[in-house]
Amino acid sequence: MLDFLLRRLAAALLTLALASIVVFLVLEVLPGDPALVMLGTEARPDTLAALHAKLGLDRPLLERYVSWVGGLLSFDLGNSYAYGTPVSKLILDRVVVTLPLGALALSFSACVAIPLGVFAASRRGRMSDWLVMGFGQVGISIPNFWFGILLALFLAVTLKLFPAGGFPGWGTDPLGSLHALILPALSLSLPEIAILSRVTRSSMLDTLREDYVRTARAKGVAERDVLMRHALRNALIPIVTIAGLIAGFLLAGAIIVETVFYLPGVGKLVFDSISNRDLIVIKNVVILLTALVLLVNLLVDMVYVILDPRPKVSV
Amino acid sequence: MSAFWSRAQRHVGFLIGATLVLLVALMALVSLFWTPHPYDDLRMALKLKPPDGTWLLGTDHRGRDVLSRIMVGAQTSITVGLIAVSIGMALGVGLGAWAAARRGWLDEVVSRLNDLVFAFPAVLMAILITSVFGASATNAILAIGIFNIPVFARVTRGAALMMWGRDFVRAASALGLGPLTITVRHVLPNIASVLLVQATIQFATAILAEAGLSYLGLGAQPPVPSWGRMLYDAQTYLYDAPGLAIYPGLAIALTVLGLNMMGDGLRDLLDPRLRLMRVG
Repeated sequence: MLDFLLRRLAAALLTLALASIVVFLVLEVLPGDPALVMLGTEARPDTLAALHAKLGLDRPLLERYVSWVGGLLSFDLGNSYAYGTPVSKLILDRVVVTLPLGALALSFSACVAIPLGVFAASRRGRMSDWLVMGFGQVGISIPNFWFGILLALFLAVTLKLFPAGGFPGWGTDPLGSLHALILPALSLSLPEIAILSRVTRSSMLDTLREDYVRTARAKGVAERDVLMRHALRNALIPIVTIAGLIAGFLLAGAIIVETVFYLPGVGKLVFDSISNRDLIVIKNVVILLTALVLLVNLLVDMVYVILDPRPKVSV
Repeated sequence: MSAFWSRAQRHVGFLIGATLVLLVALMALVSLFWTPHPYDDLRMALKLKPPDGTWLLGTDHRGRDVLSRIMVGAQTSITVGLIAVSIGMALGVGLGAWAAARRGWLDEVVSRLNDLVFAFPAVLMAILITSVFGASATNAILAIGIFNIPVFARVTRGAALMMWGRDFVRAASALGLGPLTITVRHVLPNIASVLLVQATIQFATAILAEAGLSYLGLGAQPPVPSWGRMLYDAQTYLYDAPGLAIYPGLAIALTVLGLNMMGDGLRDLLDPRLRLMRVG
């Protein structure tokens, strides 16, 4: 078991290392001169030279890469070009919006999708099953940011139940802040609910065919208990795996949805950094998001071990 | 083939999907030489008009005809989707087939690439590319295309590995045919249906990704209309012209829904045992 987790950890670290090389190549090598990208083509030569020195672009490639990775490990990410403040502070200030948003969206997804999938599986082939599957098909086809705009249009602009955007801040108004995250979290979770409910349904259908389920039924266990205790618990393994993958898509989706709802999160920081050509911020945010996704998937592997005493090593 | 069509005519999902896709393709085609109004004529006096007999879906914040812009926007979505999926297929299928034929270290590299893409969502890749090379339709296509490479590599590898275990492929190998000849003559023709289904689904994903990127201003640049950017512009006028925020989104959703339903239908029709991973 420990062996399995160590292997997964090694694979995750390898992936992270690969990702850091890709990010470094794309942002620092491919453009030729990152300082020129940041300043624009009409930059004055002396400003360009100053930025060169500041970014350490006069140093050899390998040295630059190593010093970046070293900085990442000690969370010293350098200063933002546009804001002049440390990148680590910029990110920390915004993580308090994005992480709760992602967690809320993931809980919405699980709370709606798993019961929906179990329900559909228990009514296989009937009208209600067909409806749930149809909802799944529609759910993955709607762009989450459009769903967000629709929610803002009906629940915020027309019915005035929620704010259409903005974020008061946890310190000033904790309840209002939570309130402001509900519509964005709902719009982020729509496609994930669609995917997760389909996975839950098919995983449940697989376990419902197992012998122990038939035995439980034959023993006269109530159908409800058969579904919840015997089938769902065993069906959870693929569900948890997919939920882990979804966490990654949620973070990427947050970049767009935070823009829709004017939330000052990490996604908005990325968006603003693109317009400011603030490559230092982009580079670090992208690699930290990747690390976060890998971490979530490692956690999923651990849950997987807890759920199933016989994990397969080759995944 | 005739057996396929007779089954296709009874598959409701496939029929609905194919009809939606055909309608969007037709809309894009018609818009090449005719739209109800010129799509880029600014008429500030007519801005934010509600739908009526002349302006079937109303006008936007610059007095441009919304229906005409949606029609031309279909061209943008289809072009980006088609080219991006072709890039992904051209390189991914080659890579996957090669990995399956050779195994060993190459196989390992392809698997690691897949892990990387799972941890590295398409939007992030697109952001990296556009932040360095600037926002344009070409860069959006490149970003989505690059993301598609490992998806096709993965699917091709899986399907091709199964073929390499089959007797007729082993026989070809015993006859002394090389891995390239076997791949081209025996493996690829037999996994074409798997690839076709995956291509349909990736097309849907690519259109969603394009919409997201152009919403962020990282896709097609003005004056070229794109559905995602239309939604971004519409958000400022939610109070005055809510319709502007509805029609382009509906266009995206129906196109993607059509492709997804068609893809699922094709999968049922071509190989009922086939199951594909959906990679967003």
